Amino acid sequence: MDTNSEKVATFHNHYGAMMFKKRVSGSRLAPVPRSLSSSCGTAAFFSSPFDVELSDENLEAVYIKEGESYRMIYENKE
Amino acid sequence: MTLVKDKRNLILTGVAIGIISVALVLLGNPGNMGFCIACFLRDIAGAVKLQTAGVVQYVRPEIIGLILGSFIISLLKGEFKPRGGSAPITRFFIAFMVMIGALVFLGCPFRMVLRLAAGDLNALVALAGFASGIAIGCYFLSKGFSLGRARTQTKSEGVVLPASTILLFVLFIAVPSIFAFSTSGPGSMHAPIIASLAAGLIVGIMAQRTRMCMVGGIRDVILVKDWTLLGGFIAIFASALVMNIATGKFNLGFAGQPVAHSQHVWNFLGMLVVGLGSALLGGCPLRQLVLAGEGNTDSAVAVLGLIAGAAFAHNFSLASSAYSATSVGGPSIYGKVAVIGSIAILLAIASINTFIKKREA
Repeated sequence: MDTNSEKVATFHNHYGAMMFKKRVSGSRLAPVPRSLSSSCGTAAFFSSPFDVELSDENLEAVYIKEGESYRMIYENKE
Repeated sequence: MTLVKDKRNLILTGVAIGIISVALVLLGNPGNMGFCIACFLRDIAGAVKLQTAGVVQYVRPEIIGLILGSFIISLLKGEFKPRGGSAPITRFFIAFMVMIGALVFLGCPFRMVLRLAAGDLNALVALAGFASGIAIGCYFLSKGFSLGRARTQTKSEGVVLPASTILLFVLFIAVPSIFAFSTSGPGSMHAPIIASLAAGLIVGIMAQRTRMCMVGGIRDVILVKDWTLLGGFIAIFASALVMNIATGKFNLGFAGQPVAHSQHVWNFLGMLVVGLGSALLGGCPLRQLVLAGEGNTDSAVAVLGLIAGAAFAHNFSLASSAYSATSVGGPSIYGKVAVIGSIAILLAIASINTFIKKREA
């Protein structure tokens, strides 16, 4: 499952996305894809494997790209 | 790939919104005011007698349509997800100040683009102030500014604001005599009710689907070098520009623009307040209406803050007067003090929520 295909991490705030980018090399920031959320925050796109260790309180969820759609692989419970 | 699709949808939506906006002016709305979230919320505040400036009182069906359009489409698409609890009182007062800034300029970011598309160069000065305000907001966002996490709310909590707009519309149609309506000035100028409501509904639906947001657009360009969101507003500008030229409504210059003034410093600073405040709120006034329709109760509180700000702006002479044959227009000394004070307070709110909170954590 957690291969090197594209993943998207969403956050509760922009700062969370910036901090995530620093932790995950090769990741890039862009607006959250509309199909994932009606909010307009910043998402981090990355292809390296995701590990729960990479999460923090600002992370909302992580999705993996499957064809043209996304599937949630991690959700940071409130 | 998805972002390419998002961009295409935003541009198509922007083109449609630009056409609808100019059409509303042709149908009777004030000049360059097909849409103006600040002006229209102010008119509603006047209609319900929260302020008594005789020339700006009307129940604008566009506002009702925008909230309900977003509400209906988010229900249908399973995106009606009430959330809130992210510093509601702070948001109320930020929105309050955003409204004061907008009424010193005489327009929200949406109307700023529409004014620009009609050749009103005062809006260009305002755009510079607006972008500066957003840039300042982005500095705080990148240093860790946050008003705190929103959490899931009950469905009934999320329905309150959309439901209250339905009630307002029913009362407006059934017993209009209870409201105050302008008989002269911008408040007396409006498109037919059904056209205004339909335009609001359509734009509300489209804005919800595409997340159209002027503040978010410039913020994304500054923070992540992404033009997707801004593309929507560039499209509104382009299509409204073509419409204005085609219908003879284009008039390039600073002087003699409808519901506008040429006090450059105050156009710049007024919209700086709007840019900074909206960046802290996470969206421009249009976006706050759309999010409120999706059940976001923080945005609903922001909408109430905008309305309260409008009432205070007129009751305490903070709002600018427009250029006329007898006056150059612009803000009073009270309006100027309110703008400077708002900038100071917004910087204090941003600093406290960025630096002091982090130290506490």
